[in-house]
Amino acid sequence: MIDTKHRIIFNSENCIGCKLCYKACFVDVIRWDEEKKQPVFQYVEDCEHCFWCEVLCKKNCIKIIPDFESEKLLQTFDRYL
Amino acid sequence: MDTYERENISADVLIIGGGIAGLAAALSVKEINPDLDILIVEKQTAGYSGKACRGGGVLQYFDLHKIKPEQFVEYHVHNIGCYLGDQDLLFKYVSMNNHMLDKLVEWGAKLPKRADGSYAVIPTGPMTAMIGVDLDITIKLRRTAEKTGVRFLDKVAVSDLLTTDNSIAGATGYSIIDGTFYTFNAKSVILATGSQNYRIGPMWGSGRGDGIAAAYRAGAEMRNPEFGNFAQLVRVKSHREVVFGENYMYNQLGEHITKNFRSGPEPDISSTAIAEWFTQMSMAKGPIVLKPEESGGNSIYTIWDRPYGEPFWKINEQWADKADGDDWEVCPLFIGEQSPVKVGHDMQTTIPGLYAIGDTSYCGSALAGAVPAPPGRNRGSGILNAVFSGIMCAQSAADNASNAPLPPVDKNQVEECFTSAFTPLWRDSGCDAKDVIRYIQKAVGPMERSVYLSDHRIATAMKYVEKAKELSVSMKANNFHELLACHEANAMVLSAEMQFRAADMRIESRGWFLREDYPEMDNKNWLKWIIVKKEGDTMKLGTEDVPYEKWPVKPQF
Ligand SMILES: Cc1cc2nc3c(=O)[nH]c(=O)nc-3n(C[C@H](O)[C@H](O)[C@H](O)COP(=O)(O)OP(=O)(O)OC[C@H]3O[C@@H](n4cnc5c(N)ncnc54)[C@H](O)[C@@H]3O)c2cc1C
Ligand code: SF4
Ligand code: SF4
Repeated sequence: MIDTKHRIIFNSENCIGCKLCYKACFVDVIRWDEEKKQPVFQYVEDCEHCFWCEVLCKKNCIKIIPDFESEKLLQTFDRYL
Repeated sequence: MDTYERENISADVLIIGGGIAGLAAALSVKEINPDLDILIVEKQTAGYSGKACRGGGVLQYFDLHKIKPEQFVEYHVHNIGCYLGDQDLLFKYVSMNNHMLDKLVEWGAKLPKRADGSYAVIPTGPMTAMIGVDLDITIKLRRTAEKTGVRFLDKVAVSDLLTTDNSIAGATGYSIIDGTFYTFNAKSVILATGSQNYRIGPMWGSGRGDGIAAAYRAGAEMRNPEFGNFAQLVRVKSHREVVFGENYMYNQLGEHITKNFRSGPEPDISSTAIAEWFTQMSMAKGPIVLKPEESGGNSIYTIWDRPYGEPFWKINEQWADKADGDDWEVCPLFIGEQSPVKVGHDMQTTIPGLYAIGDTSYCGSALAGAVPAPPGRNRGSGILNAVFSGIMCAQSAADNASNAPLPPVDKNQVEECFTSAFTPLWRDSGCDAKDVIRYIQKAVGPMERSVYLSDHRIATAMKYVEKAKELSVSMKANNFHELLACHEANAMVLSAEMQFRAADMRIESRGWFLREDYPEMDNKNWLKWIIVKKEGDTMKLGTEDVPYEKWPVKPQF
């Protein structure tokens, strides 16, 4: 999916720097800040809402808010464009 | 020209892509020769990347005490592969089913068992059954591989393959984090980079075809590229798949439209279901809805105890439930799954020393026949084909690496790869990779252009592909993340071109491949594979006869 408007809410307060969210991302949305030892949600526009980063975070720091309407179904009939 | 860090790395066996196929291959090669130095290069993080950890975790099971592999082969050839499949290879795949499950367990994957120790298998048809696997499958395999000494290099995308005297010599790639440019020198190279999904279906996000494109550019032949057009019914609000939803489709008038394209039970969704959806919509008889009370089944996610995957499935279902409510309207979503790198039984491509496995070569191996694969109307075969091909390539890849010295690397070739890989970074201005991808998605996305084909509609699709191709030469990247998107966009242009040109050539309908203008299967003229190859700067298409005479199940004329 491209041109989507999914959102990611990150609450850094409880983050323990375990890096699991960074590893979990399969499309390079999440980068790692070596100084702060925290994830950076750098390419949110490319998130495919697999939810693995949210699921794996033991400290509940991450919330993915998918915006399904912004995902195109690409069918010719108006209702699906 | 900017300067970038450079690193040269050599290995006996280089595996590109650390999904389930790459991991299975690494473990299998190590079992044959533990002394071999194996390196897996993965553009994200092996263990967490790829698709096996994002799907249903369902594996196909054959009770080999009750059915003989040849029985399934016969069924498959007539009903699914439609005489384009390699029957010997399919026979091996079925015969090795129980062995593969045992291997997965040995490598650390968790398959649910019953109290008596047997696999918790659930029958799905007269010949088939299924068994779950937990979604930490790839993490477990990575850990086991690490213990055996397999090396991993994450966040490095391979952009090109290196050849010397037409044999494989290695690959080049770059770190998507800091741009370090890598030259890999290896005796055997195993391509396990997945299929082409054109960035449309969300969970299929990792299948962007860049490995397929690298193989094509290096001169490897492709087979069956026209079968890269899988589509699945999804609910229109959440876009979640409804597997087997085609069995209970209704139009706005309340008519049961499944019976228009299906007279009896079928193994899985067919292109005729997609065509029916399109026809009904064109006649203004949409929206098309499902009657869930007719589905007759519960969610597969809850059948087995799979604690690692459970929260993943749950959160996905929760969001989808919230979006859909009671709305059961469906529409097809293009998924693609082009997997065309041509290989033999040892998974070797037409470039000696280069192997292609898993979703990179599922159609290219001809195992599946006339269907886009995975799943190839054969659910639960995606992960197992990856394991199967990983095992099948191991002996040859290990022998090749054990017996030969490291091949020399052509320095000029490396410099050419470096320049072509980084050019989008050096342009002062240009278009975004997504501008190119948008045109490709316009070509492949609509069902009537990619699944329910006709001469005219293929020509329309090709116009969009041409437009994308024109734009692609001016792509500009501002960072390494965008650079990767440029390479993936190039791969999408190439895949789409192969797909439509091959589709234009195949003037018949067969298996999943469906043309409104040529609706019949033509065994007289089209028991042929379409082969695509780069010659100079042009894409050459040709055909190869399917050697059906040597196989037990014969087509009717
Ligand atoms: C939603 C969904 C549900 C599914 N459900 C099932 C199921 O229930 N049962 C089943 O059997 N199958 C299922 N499948 C299919 C199955 O997951 C795949 O067939 C299988 O995982 C393919 O494995 P692979 O290793 O060949 O490819 P992938 O899993 O795609 O792995 C390819 C790897 O290569 C990496 N890579 C790509 N390009 C490069 C590059 N240039 N350089 C370096 N690395 C690169 C990728 O990041 C990725 O890690 C499902 C798939 C999806 C998407
Ligand atoms: S998974 Fe959670 S705790 Fe770990 S690094 Fe990411 S945000 Fe921090
Ligand atoms: S939801 Fe998936 S794709 Fe999105 S940021 Fe998290 S891991 Fe990456």
